[in-house]
Amino acid sequence: MRAAWGRAVAAAACVLAAGCASGPASTRPATAGPAAPPPLATASTGAAGAGWAIVEMGGSAAQEDNFWELFVRPAASAAWRLATPAGVADNGGLEAAGTGGSLVAGFRPSQDLAFSPLAATHDDGASWAAAGPVTPGLADAPDALAAGPGGQLIALTSEGTAELGADTGNAWTRLASVQTLLATPAGHTCGLTGLTAASFGPSGVPMLAGTCSRPGTVGIFADHGGTWRAAGPAVPPALAGADTGVLRLTTSGALLRAGSGAAASLIAAWPAAGGWAQSAPLRIGANGLRATSFGPGQAVAVVLADGQGETLSGPGSSWHALPRLPASAAALALGPGGQVDALTAKAGTFADWRLVAGARWRLAQTVHVTIPYGSSS
Amino acid sequence: MPGMTSGLSSDNPTIVAAFRSALLHQGLILVAVFAVLALAWLIVREWLRPAGTPAGSRPGAGSEPAWRLLLRVGFGVLWIFDGLLQAQPAMAEGLPAQVIQPAAASSPGWVQHIVNWAGTSWSYHPIQAGAAAVWIQIGIGVWLITAPRGSWSRLAGLVSAGWALVVWVFGEAFGGIFAPGLSWLFGAPGAAALYLAAGLLIAAPPRSWRESPPGRAILTALGVFFAGMAVLQAWPGRGFWQGTLHGGSGTLTAMIRSMATTPQPAVLAGWVSGFASFTAAHGFAVNLFAVIALAAVGAGLLAAGRGRPELGRLAVIAMVVLCLADWVLVEDFGFFGGLGTDPNSMIPLALLGVAGYLALTRAPVPAAEPAGEAAGEAEPVGGADRSGWFQPARLAGAFAAAGTRAVLTVWALVIVLLGAAPMAMAQTSRNADPIIAQAVDGDAAPLDATAPAFQLTDQYGRAASLAGFRGKVVLLTFLDPVCTSDCPVIAQEFRQADQMLGGTGRNVELVAIVANPVYYSAAYTRAFDQAERLTALPNWRYLTGSLPQLRQAWKNYGVAADILPAGGMIAHSDVTFVIDANGHTRSELNFDPGPGTPSTESSFAAELTTAAAAVSRQP
Repeated sequence: MRAAWGRAVAAAACVLAAGCASGPASTRPATAGPAAPPPLATASTGAAGAGWAIVEMGGSAAQEDNFWELFVRPAASAAWRLATPAGVADNGGLEAAGTGGSLVAGFRPSQDLAFSPLAATHDDGASWAAAGPVTPGLADAPDALAAGPGGQLIALTSEGTAELGADTGNAWTRLASVQTLLATPAGHTCGLTGLTAASFGPSGVPMLAGTCSRPGTVGIFADHGGTWRAAGPAVPPALAGADTGVLRLTTSGALLRAGSGAAASLIAAWPAAGGWAQSAPLRIGANGLRATSFGPGQAVAVVLADGQGETLSGPGSSWHALPRLPASAAALALGPGGQVDALTAKAGTFADWRLVAGARWRLAQTVHVTIPYGSSS
Repeated sequence: MPGMTSGLSSDNPTIVAAFRSALLHQGLILVAVFAVLALAWLIVREWLRPAGTPAGSRPGAGSEPAWRLLLRVGFGVLWIFDGLLQAQPAMAEGLPAQVIQPAAASSPGWVQHIVNWAGTSWSYHPIQAGAAAVWIQIGIGVWLITAPRGSWSRLAGLVSAGWALVVWVFGEAFGGIFAPGLSWLFGAPGAAALYLAAGLLIAAPPRSWRESPPGRAILTALGVFFAGMAVLQAWPGRGFWQGTLHGGSGTLTAMIRSMATTPQPAVLAGWVSGFASFTAAHGFAVNLFAVIALAAVGAGLLAAGRGRPELGRLAVIAMVVLCLADWVLVEDFGFFGGLGTDPNSMIPLALLGVAGYLALTRAPVPAAEPAGEAAGEAEPVGGADRSGWFQPARLAGAFAAAGTRAVLTVWALVIVLLGAAPMAMAQTSRNADPIIAQAVDGDAAPLDATAPAFQLTDQYGRAASLAGFRGKVVLLTFLDPVCTSDCPVIAQEFRQADQMLGGTGRNVELVAIVANPVYYSAAYTRAFDQAERLTALPNWRYLTGSLPQLRQAWKNYGVAADILPAGGMIAHSDVTFVIDANGHTRSELNFDPGPGTPSTESSFAAELTTAAAAVSRQP
C-alpha cells in the first residue's frame, strides 16, 4: 500500500511540475506608476488679444473617449476656432507653450504611448508641423513644456528630468534633474522632491520649479551660466510653516500652492524689479483647481474645482470673485481691457461666454466639435 | 488582475465551437477506449477464467461502511455533475474572467497573485483547460463510484482530494476564507474544501476507521465549524444585521439579489427575489435566525461528538434542513447561469454531516476478506499481492479475474488522464493557443500574388526594399509610431514572435511601414522602437520615407491611414502580410489586436510564427 501511495504522489508531483514548468511571459514594457490627476485646463492671452485655450471635451466616462482640444483666438479677432494638432490621440492631455508668434503643442503620454510627440505652428494653428519627440513623455504638469527664444524648448519628463530642446525639439540635451538640482545649494535648501514647471525668464534664462520638502520654501530656480540658483519668492510670514508647491510658472508670473487639504491656498506671484510681487492667498480647499489662465497685463484667472471663478488684474490687485460661471465652465480667458470670457465645454460643444458689465454672462460664440469617439480604443 | 482574462466574450463562437469539438473528439476517444477495454476484458476473461469459476460470478458482499459508501457515491455523483457543468459552452472562455477573477476580487493581494497565475494559464489555453476540467471531474466521479474497496478506492479518494485542493486554491480563491465577507450563508469555506475533506476520509486506511469510527471526529469538526460560523454571522459591523444599509441593500440582501439576477427558471428567480425582499424588510430577524440556527446545530453536533448520538440525529437533521433552505433561498442552487461550476457548498456539507452521523457506529469487520474480492472489485491489475504483477501472464490473469467495476475503474483512470494530458502538454509551452487570435480576427486569408515593391528607409537611415529581403520570409505590417492603443500591442506581438522563432528567426524579417501621414520621421520610428523594446531585435525593420513614398506603399497594400480631427488617432488598417522568400504574398492576416491582453498578444505572436513556418516549408 505504501508503495502505491508513493507512486501516486510521484505521479501527482509530475503533473503539477508540468503545470508549473512554465508560466506565461510578461509582454508589456513597464508602464508609468499610478494614474496622475487629470490635467488642468489652461488658457493664455497675449497683449494684443491673441490667445489659446486647452479644454477637455467629450464628456465620456471612458478616458479614451475624452479629448483635449486646443482653441485659438487670433489677434484682432473675437472668435475662437478649433486648432487641435492632428495625427496623435490627445486623451492624456495637451501642453502648449508660445513665444514670438509661434506655438508648440505637446501630447502627454496616454494608454500605450510612452513618449510625447510635439507639433509647432506659426500661423495660429492653421497648419502644424511635426516636431520632437520628447522621450520619455512629458510630466503631468501644466507647464511641463516651455518655449523660449530661438526655437528653444524646455521639457519636463515623467522621469523627473528637464531637457533643453533646440530646433523646436528636434535635438535634446539634459538641462537638469531632481538629483542634479538637489546637489546645488539652492536645491538642497529646498529639499526638492520633484519638478513641476519650466519656463524661460524675461531674459531667456531657463527656469525650473518644483516641490520643496522644507516648509515655507518656494522651489523656483534659474540657470545662471550653468549654475542653478534659487529664484523664487518668500512666502508670506503667515504661511512660513506651510508646505508649498509651484503649480504654474510662466514668463509673466507664477501660481503657488501653500498648505494642503482644506487649508490649501493659492498665491499669485509676479516677477518685479529686485524680487517678486505677490497676491494675497486665496483659499482653494482640498479639491484644488479646475483651470488656470494668464492674460494681458500679467492678469491671472482661475476656476476652482467647485466652479467658482476668481481673477487678479495684475500685480498689486486683489482676488475678485466672478459671478456664478455658466454650467460646464472649463476655463477662463482674459483679454485686453479687463475682458473676461468663460469657456464652457460639454460633450462636443465649446462655448464662449463674455462677462458683461461685470455682472452677467452673455453667449458670444459656440463651436461644435466632432469628437472622434472610439478612435482611441 | 492582469492577464487572467483574454478579454474575449464568453460566448465567442470560435472558442465555443473549438471547445465543443475538443469535447466531442475526446468523448469519442473515451468511448473507443471503453469499447476496446470491454472487448479485451470479455475475451481475456473467456480464455483465462480460472477453472471452476462460472462466468459472471462475483465474490461475496463487501464490508464498506455506510458512511463511506455515502461519501464515495455522493461525491462521485457530484464530481460527475460538476464535470458536466464544466462542459457548458461559455466555460472555456468565461471561467477565468467571470468565475475565478470575481471569486478572488475581494481577497488579499497574495491570494489574487496565486489565483492570477492559474487564471492566466487557463486563458492561454482555454480549450485544453476547459476540456481538462470536464474530463478530470467526470473521471474522478466515475472512479469514486466504481471503486468501492481496496487501494484503488483509496487512491480515488486521494485524487479527489488533490483535485479539490487545486479547485479550492485556484478556482475558489481558498473558498474566500481570506476575504472580508466570509459567511456560511454564502458558502464558506468553499465547496471544494468539503470535497477535499470527503476525499481524505475516503482515502483513509480501513484499519483506521474499523478500529475507531470517524463519526465523532467528523461531527465534532462540523460542530466547531458551525459554532465558528455562528460567531462570524453574529459579528457586528459586517452588514449582516441590516436588511438595508445607507439606502442600499445590506450584505445578505445584496448577495441574494445578485443571485436572483442569474439566468434561471422564473419560478426559482421568484423564490429568491421574494426571499431577498423579505430579508430587506426583516434583515435583523433573518440574521438572528441564522445565528441561532448555526449555533444550535453546532452545539448539537458537538454534543454528538462527545457521545450523545440522540442529539446528533436531531442536529444532523436540522443541519440538512438548514443546508437545503440556504441552498435554495440564498445560494440559488449555484449551478445556473451558464457558468455555474458546481451546486455550491450545501449539498456536500449535508453529505458530510449525514456521513458523520452514520459513522458513529463501528463498521462490521469481515471474518475473512474474500481473496477474489480484492482482485475482482478493487484491484484492477494484480490484486493485493504485487510481487511480479507486471508479468504478462499474471497481468492477463488478473485482468481476466477482474470484475466490471474494476474495468470501469481503469476506464475512469483513462478519462482523468485523457483530460489532464492535453492541458499538461499545453502548459509546457509559454505561448498561448493560436485559437485566441482566430477568435479575435478570424482565419488568415490565403493569397498568392507578387508582393508590391517598396523602397524606403529603416529606423537607422539605411535604405530598405522588398527586393533586399529576397531569400527570407517577410512578416510585413503597418504601424503608427504615435498610436496609443493597437500599434504598441502589435509591436509586442512581433517581438514575442521573434522570441518564439528562436534560431529560425534569422530567416524571417519583421518589417513595419509607418502608417501616419503626420508623424513619419525616423526620429519617431526610433522613439517607438525604444518605447517598445525593439531596438535589440536584429531582424526588426521599421521603415519610413517621404510622404509620397509612404502613400504609394499604403495604396499598393490597400492600407488606409486617415487623419481624424479633434485629437483623434490616425485611422489605419491593422493587417499583416506574410511574404515568402520569393517575394510572393502568401497570406493576409487581419491583425486587429483586440483586447490586447497577455493571452491575445501571445496568441497573435504564435499565429505569426505558425504562418512564417508554414511559408518557409512551402516550395
